[in-house]
Amino acid sequence: MKYDAVRFLWKTIRQDRLAFFGVAVLFCLVAIALLAPLVATHDPNEMNHRVEGTVFWYRDGEWVIQESVGEWTLNAVTFCYDGDTAFAVGNHGEVLKYSAGSWEKEEVPTTVHLQDVAFGENLVVVVGESGTILEKRNGEWIIVNTPVENELFAVSIAPGTQKALVAGTEGTVLRRLNDTWELVDTGATEDLLAVSFPAEDTGFIVGRRNVIFHYDGETLSRQMVMGFRDLYDVHAPTTDMALAVGERGTILHYTGTAWSAMYGPEARDLRGVRLIEEDKAVAVGSHGVIIRMDQGQWMREDTGYRRHLRGIDAFGGMLIASGTDPYVNSLARPSVDHWFGTTHLGRDIYSQVVYGSRAALTVGFLAAIMVAVIGTNVGLFAGYFKGRVDGLLMRIVDIMYALPLEPFAMILVLLSRPGLTIIIFAVGLLTWRTTARIIRSQVLSLAARPFVKAARIAGASDLRILYVHIAPNILPLAFLQLAVSVAFAITAEATLSFLGLGPPRIYSWGTILHEARLSGAWRTAWWWIIPPGVLIMITVVSVFFISRALEVLTNPRLGKR
Amino acid sequence: MGMRGYILRRAVQVLLTLWVILTLLFFLFRLGLPDPTLALVSEGLSPEDRMLVAERFGLERPLWQQYFIYLRNVISGELGTSFHYKAPVAGILGEKFLNTMVLMLPAILVAYSIGQLLGVLLAWKRGTRLEFTGVSLGLIFRSAPMFWTGMLFIMLFGISLGWFPTSGMRTLPYEASGFLDKIFTLDFLRHLFLPVLVIALYYAGLPMLIMRNTMLEVMGEDFIEFCKARGLSMRRIMYRHAARNALLPIVTQAAITIGLAVGGQVVVEVVFSWPGLGLEMLQAVRTSDYPLAQASFMLMAAMILVLNFATDLIYGKLDPRVVYS
Repeated sequence: MKYDAVRFLWKTIRQDRLAFFGVAVLFCLVAIALLAPLVATHDPNEMNHRVEGTVFWYRDGEWVIQESVGEWTLNAVTFCYDGDTAFAVGNHGEVLKYSAGSWEKEEVPTTVHLQDVAFGENLVVVVGESGTILEKRNGEWIIVNTPVENELFAVSIAPGTQKALVAGTEGTVLRRLNDTWELVDTGATEDLLAVSFPAEDTGFIVGRRNVIFHYDGETLSRQMVMGFRDLYDVHAPTTDMALAVGERGTILHYTGTAWSAMYGPEARDLRGVRLIEEDKAVAVGSHGVIIRMDQGQWMREDTGYRRHLRGIDAFGGMLIASGTDPYVNSLARPSVDHWFGTTHLGRDIYSQVVYGSRAALTVGFLAAIMVAVIGTNVGLFAGYFKGRVDGLLMRIVDIMYALPLEPFAMILVLLSRPGLTIIIFAVGLLTWRTTARIIRSQVLSLAARPFVKAARIAGASDLRILYVHIAPNILPLAFLQLAVSVAFAITAEATLSFLGLGPPRIYSWGTILHEARLSGAWRTAWWWIIPPGVLIMITVVSVFFISRALEVLTNPRLGKR
Repeated sequence: MGMRGYILRRAVQVLLTLWVILTLLFFLFRLGLPDPTLALVSEGLSPEDRMLVAERFGLERPLWQQYFIYLRNVISGELGTSFHYKAPVAGILGEKFLNTMVLMLPAILVAYSIGQLLGVLLAWKRGTRLEFTGVSLGLIFRSAPMFWTGMLFIMLFGISLGWFPTSGMRTLPYEASGFLDKIFTLDFLRHLFLPVLVIALYYAGLPMLIMRNTMLEVMGEDFIEFCKARGLSMRRIMYRHAARNALLPIVTQAAITIGLAVGGQVVVEVVFSWPGLGLEMLQAVRTSDYPLAQASFMLMAAMILVLNFATDLIYGKLDPRVVYS
C-alpha cells in the first residue's frame, strides 16, 4: 500500500491537471518563502519615500514654503516680466507656470527630464535630456531641432534679446542666433553645468572640475582657475561681476578681471546662486541650505526645512527657490516601484506579502500534521474500541469542541507571548476534533461490517484489524481531512493574525490585513486588501486540489469512469 | 441496554462534560489573565475603593472559595455581573445570542441546503465539466477567508456601489419596541444580506464536498447496482436511495457547525461590526471581563454538547447498522 502510494503519487498528480497546478503553486510558494529576501523588492518594514517638487518663496523678509507643486523634482526656476510670473521645470517633462498666485502645469511635447529654464524677449527656453530644447513663442511650446544628443544642463538668455547660450555634457555649448541653434566649439570634454549671459557680448559657463569659460559674443575662452571642484551654478547680473558655486560649499567670485575663491560658511554642496548687487547674494543647496551674502560676508540662514534645493532666482526683493521634497510614499497605488502599492506607512505591500508566505506555510504544515496524526488515531481508537475508550476520547473531543478557537488562542497569547508557536499549538491542539469525529463516525459504521468480524474470527489482533483492515478504508477521508487541515490551519493562522493575535514584526497574510483594518484605509485601498487574500486563497485551493488527487489514489473505487 | 438507558447515560455524560469545561474555564481564566482589578479600577483609585470593588466581585477570597461560589452561581442560573457593563451577564448574553443567531442560522440554512444538493449533483455527474466547475468553485469560495471576502464585499457592494450598509445591524438612531420588531424591517434585512452571503458562500463548500465524497463511497455499494437493476431512474437512485445513505457525515457536520455558530464567526462580526456573541466574547477576553467571557464560553459549550447529543441520537435513525451499547 505504502509503496503503491509513493509510486502512484507522481503518476496520479501528473494525470490530474488541477493537482499538478496545486503542486506547482505549492512549490513556487515554498521557493518564495525560502528565498524571500531575494524575491522581495523592498524591506517590508521600510518606510518608502518619494520625491515631489517644492517651491520656497522669500517675500516680505521671510521664507514661505509651498509644498508639492508638482509630481517630480523641480530642477530650475525663473521669474519673468515681473515678480508675478515664474516658470519652473523638472523631471519627466514637468513645466510649471506661476501666475495669478498659483502654479499651473504647462502642456509640453516631451517627457524627458528638464534641467533649466530661461526667460528673454518674447521667448522662454527650456533645456533637458537628449539635446532637448523647448521654446515658447507666441504662447506655443515647440521642440527645436538641435545638432546634439547630449544632456543639456543650463540655458541663459541675454536680457532684452532672443540670443541664448546653452551648456551640456562633454563640453557641449549651443548658441541661439537669428532663431537658429548652432554648436560652439569649446575644445573641452568636461560636463558644463551652468551658464549666465548678462549681455550679448558677455557670457560665463561653468562645469565640472572647476571649468570656467568666458564668451565674448563670438568665441569661448577657457579661464585658468585654481582648484578641481565641480561648479554647479554661475550668475552674472552685469558684465563685470559674477559668482559661481559648487561642490562642498565652493564659492568663486569674479570682479571683472579674475576669478578668486571666497570663504563660505557651508560645507555642503551649493546648487544655485544669485548675485543681487555687488556685495549681496544668495546661494542654495542640498538639505535646505540657504546662505546669504551681505556686505561681502556670507551668513547661514536657517529656515528649519531640510529639503534639497536645486534652483534659485531673484526679482527685486523677492527670491524663489525650487527643489525636491522626499516624503513618505503612503497609500500609493500599484506602480513600477511598488507592484502592490504601499501601506499607510509607506511600506511595500508586495514585499510584505512575500515575507508573509513564510508564516503561512510554517503554521499550515506543522499544525496540519499535528491535527492529522492526533485526529486520525483518536478517531480510529474511539470508533473501533467503542465503550469506555470511545466514551473517554469523545468526552475529550466534546471538551475540545466547546472551546472556541479565537478566544482560546487569545488566552494562550495572554499566558505567554504572541508568536507563531502559540498559533500552531492553538490550531493543532484544538482542531483535531473535527478529524477525530469524522473518522470515528466512519469507523463506527465500518466496524459493524462483516469483514471486520471475519478478520476477528481469523484471529487478527485489535491493532492489526485497526491499522491493516480498517485504516485503508478511512484513508480517503483521512487524506481529505489532512488537506482540509492544512487549508484550515493556513486560514486559522490568517484569522488569528487578522484579529491581532499574531507575532509582532513578523509579517503574515493575516497581519497585513489586520494592519489594513487598523489603519482604516482598507475601505478604499483595494491594492492593500486583495494580494494577501488572493495568496491565502491560492495556497488553500492548491492544497485542496492535491487532496482530490490523493483521494482517487487511496481509494481505487473512486477512479474516473 | 435499550434506547432509554442510552439516552440517560448520555445526558449524564453531557452534564459531566459541562462540569469539566466549567472547571477548566474557571482555572484558565483565573490563572491565565492578569489581575482583574486592573481592568475594573482606574489608576488613581484609593486602596479602600479597590478593596470595595474586589469584595463586590468576590475577588479577595481564596481561589477554591471563588471556585465554589462560581459553581453554585452557575447551577442557580446566576451568571454574575459583567465587570464592564455593570449589568447582569444573562441579559447581555441573551441579546447578543439572538443577534448572532439571526445572522448565523439563515446563513447555515442556506449553505447546507444548497451545499448538500450540489454535492449529490456533483457525485452524480462525476468526471464531467459540471463536476469540475462545481468542485473548483466550491473550493475557491471555501479557500477565501471569510474576513477577506467580507472586506471585499464591503468595498465592492458597500462603498463602491453603495447598495448595502457596511456595518452594524441597523441604521442608527433606531428604537424598537421588541425583538421581532427589530428584525423584520427592510433596513435590518439590508444590513443582514452581506454578512449572510459571506458566511453562506464559505460554509456551502464543506457540505458540498463531504456529500460528494460520501456519495461516491455509497455509489460503490451493491444496493445501488440493485436499484439500477430494478430500472429506477438515476434521479430517484441518487436523491432517494444514495443520498439517504450518504447523509451521516453531513448530519455530523451540520450539528458541529450550528454548535460552533453559537459563538458566531468572530471575524465576520468584527468586519461587519455585528453586535453578536463572538464579538462580545472577544471584547470580554480582551478586557478581562471574566463573568461575561465565561458565560459566553458556557453558552457555547452547552449548545455544542446538546447538539452532539442530538447527533448521536439521529445516527440510529439514519444508519440502522449503528447499535446502541
